[in-house]
Amino acid sequence: MILRIARKELLDLSRDGRFRVLSALVLIVSVVSLAAGWKTYTDLAAQHRTAQLATRDQWLNQPKKNPHSAAHYGVYAFKPASQMAMVDTGIDPYVGVAVWLEAHKQNEMKYRPAQDRTAVQRFGSMNGAEVLQVLVPLFIVLMAFSAFAGEREQGTLRQLLSVGARPHDLALGKALGVASALGAVLLPATALSVVALTLSTSEGLLADDPWRVVTIGTVYLTYFAVVTALALWVSAWASSARLALVVLLTAWFASAIVAPRVVSDLAAWLHPTPSAVEFQKALEADLNNEKDMKERLDRRRDDLLKHYNVASVDALPIAFSGVSLQEGEEHGNEVFDKHFGALFGRYERQNRVFQWSALVAPTLAVRGLSMGFSGTDFGQHRHFVTAAESYRRDIQRTLNGDIAKHQQAGQVYMAGRELWDQVPAFSYEPPTAGWVVGQYAIALAVLGAWLAAAVVLMMRAASTALVD
Amino acid sequence: MLARIIRHEWRTLSADSTLWVVGVAFIAAIGYGVWNGARWVGFQQAALASASAEEAERYVKLQTEVDDLQRTGGKVSPFRDPRSPSNAGGRLGPRYASLPPGPLAALAVGQSDLLPYYFKVSTDSRDAVVGATEIENPQRLLVGRFDLAFVLIFFYPILILALCYNMLSAEQEQGTLALTLSQPLSLATLTTGKVLLRATVLVGLVVVCTLAALVIGGVDLAAPGALARLGLWVAAVVAYGAFWFGLAMLVASFGLRSAANATVLASAWLVLVVVLPSVFNLVATSVFPVPSRMELVQAVRAASDDANAAGSKLLATYYEDHPELATGDAAQAMTDFNVVRVAVNDDVERRVRPVIVRYEQQIAGQQRLVDGLRFISPAVLMQSALNDIAGTGYERHQRFLQQVDGYHAAWRQFFTPLIFQKASFTDYRTTPRFAFEEETSGRVADRVTPAVLGLAIPALALVWLALARLGRFPVVS
Amino acid sequence: MLEALALTKRYNDVTALNALTLTVAPGDVFCLLGANGAGKTTTINLFLNFIAPTSGTAKVNGLDVTKEPLETKRYLAYIPEMVMLYKNLTGLENLEYFAALAGKPDLSRDALIGYFREVGLAVDAADRRVGTYSKGMRQKVGIAIALAKGAKALLLDEPTSGLDPKASNEFSDLLRRLSGSGVAVLMATHDLFRAKESGTRVGIMKHGTLVAQHTTDEFGHTDLERVYLEHMRD
Repeated sequence: MILRIARKELLDLSRDGRFRVLSALVLIVSVVSLAAGWKTYTDLAAQHRTAQLATRDQWLNQPKKNPHSAAHYGVYAFKPASQMAMVDTGIDPYVGVAVWLEAHKQNEMKYRPAQDRTAVQRFGSMNGAEVLQVLVPLFIVLMAFSAFAGEREQGTLRQLLSVGARPHDLALGKALGVASALGAVLLPATALSVVALTLSTSEGLLADDPWRVVTIGTVYLTYFAVVTALALWVSAWASSARLALVVLLTAWFASAIVAPRVVSDLAAWLHPTPSAVEFQKALEADLNNEKDMKERLDRRRDDLLKHYNVASVDALPIAFSGVSLQEGEEHGNEVFDKHFGALFGRYERQNRVFQWSALVAPTLAVRGLSMGFSGTDFGQHRHFVTAAESYRRDIQRTLNGDIAKHQQAGQVYMAGRELWDQVPAFSYEPPTAGWVVGQYAIALAVLGAWLAAAVVLMMRAASTALVD
Repeated sequence: MLARIIRHEWRTLSADSTLWVVGVAFIAAIGYGVWNGARWVGFQQAALASASAEEAERYVKLQTEVDDLQRTGGKVSPFRDPRSPSNAGGRLGPRYASLPPGPLAALAVGQSDLLPYYFKVSTDSRDAVVGATEIENPQRLLVGRFDLAFVLIFFYPILILALCYNMLSAEQEQGTLALTLSQPLSLATLTTGKVLLRATVLVGLVVVCTLAALVIGGVDLAAPGALARLGLWVAAVVAYGAFWFGLAMLVASFGLRSAANATVLASAWLVLVVVLPSVFNLVATSVFPVPSRMELVQAVRAASDDANAAGSKLLATYYEDHPELATGDAAQAMTDFNVVRVAVNDDVERRVRPVIVRYEQQIAGQQRLVDGLRFISPAVLMQSALNDIAGTGYERHQRFLQQVDGYHAAWRQFFTPLIFQKASFTDYRTTPRFAFEEETSGRVADRVTPAVLGLAIPALALVWLALARLGRFPVVS
Repeated sequence: MLEALALTKRYNDVTALNALTLTVAPGDVFCLLGANGAGKTTTINLFLNFIAPTSGTAKVNGLDVTKEPLETKRYLAYIPEMVMLYKNLTGLENLEYFAALAGKPDLSRDALIGYFREVGLAVDAADRRVGTYSKGMRQKVGIAIALAKGAKALLLDEPTSGLDPKASNEFSDLLRRLSGSGVAVLMATHDLFRAKESGTRVGIMKHGTLVAQHTTDEFGHTDLERVYLEHMRD
């Protein structure tokens, strides 16, 4: 029964001129955005490869110099391109692509791609995520708004019910019909994107994580199911097709266009962030805390003297200069962890507000989940930043340790290639899909709740409101 | 006659309670948008004030230290010596070059949350001075702000279309059109009256509410250039509105049913406001892709390496941080190093310049392409007009960057001779200051006028077409 | 006052009106009889310039309606089958609005109430919203507009359909008074009884052609019916 209804719905839709135009539009836009995303990704991956090799080269080919000079010279770490960014570029345009790993400083990532683009980009870039989150729900609304209300106006609903069609079957049948029509339209783009993802170089972030692809697909399918069920629910109780359309369009506009900005303001109001000037001031105040530094150094000196059982620093078998450099680093690291930790913590709390707000606007849940599983959200950016910073600290430890071992008093100690080789190349392991699930538990739960609620509403409205 | 129609339309519309609800919501949105914009301006001003205060404090400390040293003749590490012109111009005494928000910056956040609005200028190379970006959650940057520009670009057309989609078709469907048209008035007059009423109310509402919100928000409308920009803003609002009213008139003139009108107009909104602008971005970045800055980083480094290998002393790099470990006359080595460093920086910049120029050309090319293409989408035109009026757009920022470049050059010109003379720097008050030279209203008008015309001319064309088509309006089906 | 000269309207292959020629002089009440689709409404729409003629002319007070669309409407008043007014406005406000559009914007409240009384509407109905009016009352407002306008010609489309006998009678009286004051009336109707009662001349339309024209004095009621049905026989 349900299948019969679904088949008729599909037939009806496929003959509707408006559906044809709309589906052509969605098809073209999704394929074009996929192509553009693929090109961007391959370009970026190539540039990343070149840059990463170049910086490693520059590191290894440093002339003989004091290890601390090498520490100041430092190394660059570049954020790798994520394959799944073909689907959702997320925050990538708004975060830096390169960070300089040098001594004494935890630098911020520089060169946000967005700064090299025009103001038009603030309208949004037509990438896969925007098509799926903004255009497709609109498409569903336009297909489904008259499913019940229109039939009621035409009088065919009465006839259907009089031949004994069960309201539940009708609802599910229509939902299936809409879903199949949607599937037919999205299938080419989906197939192409799967092909593109598998073909793209394995240097991409997520080549080894098919779970991400599967999850993102499931998330979007759930989202479309929610939208379909809600559209059918509204169509069932609305007194006219026009009212159903107005309600659904308003809901679409509010959820997809207005809600994100309003929630963004709410998040910033609940968890405000300092200005760069204030942040820098606070950071420097802690870094330049001479007293702390001196205490720390004194303690270390005393420990060492005790450990080696000597009376003065000059008698130590290791060069204290190396040790003091490392203490300086440790002190700095604590300060950086405190300040950056607080700042990033605030960002993450702000982002959780977005997740909770999905209770009101389901689009927000999908936005977060889509970015999360594409690897282009803040959580994963922070993961990279932390990994790069950890690599920086390893470099400092290696170099300072070397100074401690080899520096002789009164001489300038120079090291060469053997030391540079001891620092491994920077390799970054992105987090797994499981990790992302942990980050987005709230959004997943909320989306699931929306699905349950929407289906229940739809079924109830089908059985009560239809019979009138 | 027209006045009568207008009065009658007001009676009819004001009887509809849903319109009052929507109107109130719109007013609330305008107020909130302006408030948000004003808050952002306040934030920027506070940050700039904080920077300025930090600079003043630092300068007082440095000058005091200099005076003390002059008096007592005390010793201080050459790397911390405030009397060294190299330290004064480099690490100790940099000044801020800031871009204060424009007089009406509350109207549109534009690109100002993304682009740096202050630089700490020192004798370091120019690219080292890049990247003083404001702290903001990247997700918030992605989502965008709920500012007045957002309300005007997205909501305002929806309201216009909602008011106008059934202005003729409702009368036709409810039957009053025939009786009205059996009176001696043309459909053109009737339609014009209906549109004029709606336009006056809506545009009036927008302008009055915005002015009120600006005044309440404490924006200084007497600031130089504010009134001129306000005038341009009103022109933009009128022109953008005229476009959508014209479109609604044209669609109405085809005599379709209300539901069909609504569908056509909603699709038009979707295409012109949502789809086209994002497609633009795609086209602009595909035709003029800016290569990733990763390449720039490598180029700068390579050039830097070469220059350094040629001119610097390996020792000096090490001494820079650990003077207590240096042997011999560290001060002498230090001053020589500074002299060399000036030459090195110069060399690096010369080598790196072509790479940077290429980036700038690509961005400028992108901007030019968008400037040309924007005439296809009224939403993009409106965005560019609003950004220019608020001073948060590309051109004003470019102006700022150029002035910072000039200031940077002047800073170096001030300190380089001192460095080479190995003079003693004693008066911090003489260091050059930066003051942003704001754009004249004339320049802003020059940029905004094409955008406004790009809205007004199609609007007039749409109205003209609509009036022509009204002659064939099917009064009876 | 009203003149149709070989007025023709064709839609693709269908001839809705075939070379209609008739004259309605001031004081005449000309009733156009015919089945649905015979061309009665088309004739009225042509006089109103709501549709354009394929050939021929429609004249009001000697002026061609296509050449002088606004001027001719000054002399015309139109009462459609369903008189639809602005529901949220009172009867008086509707009258005032349409009269103003018709070129009489400065009528005082007393004058307007006067028109109300003239067409037989209760004065207390004047300040009630038109949404509460019956069909007959709305029709009377339509006639009040015609009076306020000072129209010289009245076009009526099925005026008595849906009116009860009392309202119908009142309508007949009004018509008589109007024609007495020199207004030319062209009425499209099915109502043979009313046509005999109020009309001075009748015309019988069949498939777009005016097949017969008579004065009502020539007939009694039953005769009119017989003549009508004979023409209608195919």
